[in-house]
Amino acid sequence: MNAEEAMQMFKEAGYEAWISEREAGVKNKAKKKSLWVKVDKEKIREAVEIMIENAEEYPHFSIISASDEGDNVELNYHFTFGYGKLLEEFVISLKVSLPKNALRIKSITPIIPAAILSEREIREMVGVEFDELSDKRHMFLTKDFPDGVYPWRRDETAPKETNKLYETWKEGGK
Amino acid sequence: MKYEVPIGPIHPALKEPIMLRFTLEGERIVDVDVIASQNHRGIEWIGMNRNNPVQSIYLAERICGICNFCHPSCLVMAVEEIAGIESPERAEYIRVIQGELERIHSHLLWAGVAAHELGFDSLLHYVWVVREKVMDILELVNGNRVTKAIIMYGGVRRDIKEEHIPKIKEMLEYYKQAFSKLAKLFLEDKTIKMRTREIGILPYEEAIKLATVGPTTRASGVKKDVRQDMPYFAYPDFEVKAITPDMLTGETIGDTYDRIVVRLLEVKQSIEIIEQALENMPKGDILAEPKIIKVINQIKKSEGEAVGRYEAPRGEDIHYVKLREGFEYLYAWKVRAPTYINILSWRPMLLDMQIADIPIVAASIDPCISCTNRVIVVKGTEEKILTAEELHKLSVQKTRRLRR
Repeated sequence: MNAEEAMQMFKEAGYEAWISEREAGVKNKAKKKSLWVKVDKEKIREAVEIMIENAEEYPHFSIISASDEGDNVELNYHFTFGYGKLLEEFVISLKVSLPKNALRIKSITPIIPAAILSEREIREMVGVEFDELSDKRHMFLTKDFPDGVYPWRRDETAPKETNKLYETWKEGGK
Repeated sequence: MKYEVPIGPIHPALKEPIMLRFTLEGERIVDVDVIASQNHRGIEWIGMNRNNPVQSIYLAERICGICNFCHPSCLVMAVEEIAGIESPERAEYIRVIQGELERIHSHLLWAGVAAHELGFDSLLHYVWVVREKVMDILELVNGNRVTKAIIMYGGVRRDIKEEHIPKIKEMLEYYKQAFSKLAKLFLEDKTIKMRTREIGILPYEEAIKLATVGPTTRASGVKKDVRQDMPYFAYPDFEVKAITPDMLTGETIGDTYDRIVVRLLEVKQSIEIIEQALENMPKGDILAEPKIIKVINQIKKSEGEAVGRYEAPRGEDIHYVKLREGFEYLYAWKVRAPTYINILSWRPMLLDMQIADIPIVAASIDPCISCTNRVIVVKGTEEKILTAEELHKLSVQKTRRLRR
């Protein structure tokens, strides 16, 4: 399945999807393609299952990234698809927008076990609660990191007190 | 009777701190828990809140001392895609050469560490002497052995000059000769075989399910290599093929030995790529826009998101970047280093193995997170601390036992 077919597959299932491209190579040109799919938060597992059912090889989970979009937090579930063949791989990113007053989503770990570390990371860095996530310990932050402080957010929950050791230049060298 | 053995959080043998908690029945490992985050430096946060995008290149370089070319490359690729910056052809070739030089030094560094973990220190010293040759070339071309500050949005900062080429070619010849000796030492040595064959097996299905990357996954037979699947820079010109152990041994077991095979073959592959790159390197500029302030302004005016992917020595590295018009820093930046995902594979590899196998199996994925300082063996309420030396001694003793 190539990127266009995958886009068609998602569109037929009722998702909004689009492709971004970038050319690489000097003598031989190759197109690097990324497929972006908008997914409602209730449908995240369904979208992942669509990929698993239609992939020749198990879809390769890469990472979940997050960005603070004001009233919402956007999660991107990055997968790669079609590895093992020359020039045929592409990235699929499932985009989920969660309103800040309901930062909850189903964990995908029952179907993609490799997502466990990433979900733990998003949970502590952005404050998204993952239902059915079996391990809710901190991943990168220390055990005693205060509750309600989320380093990757850009609102009142972002860390206020940061280490000023390296910021003396801001204080005029004092 | 079950025992819990925590290893870590700090250990001089590995590069950064991490903690492993083992549950044991006698010598047999029945459960493994990985506790990361002994030293999170908040690099993504700095890129999103403090640094301009050019400063972030040098910050990304400091994510890892060994793969200090792959992280900035990933970031640069993502930002170039968003901002529509194109690099000159010569720069794309230089990027490939830099990447492969890094792979050679990283794999040789690993081979030395692996030999050390097995108690084969004379081999460690030999491999690291061999590695010095590529370090000299890195210094010659970049002015520095480690953090090289070579990549830039829209190209590279330093050229590979005419006078460098004979020295690089000499290095390639040296490695071609050293390769057969290294292959013999690592692959035919009876002791190394005994300590690594059928040890720390990662089956094909597990490698896929746990989304492992790089030599760790290829040693289990998964033909996954970004340079082959979704090439970047000038890689489409080289038609790189993912290396699996059956290419040399005719079979794929997915054990520690296979991971040695894959890395050795990849050193050979890198030599061939550099040779081909030097042969076909186009002439011309190396940087699209030398004025940094112009580059920063162009990036500041850009909006969008992209994923940069790069086949680092340890596996696929991924950076997700989001830029917002008028925003001074990267709006969102997520770094996924290969070891982030590969540490999951420790569990299936280590289950049912012995304590003495921990160092070599843990090292076999070439972890880029540091590690074990001491082991505390808790028995009831009594604690006994094993130092790094003692743990290493256990591994060496096992080698000796097997040789008898």
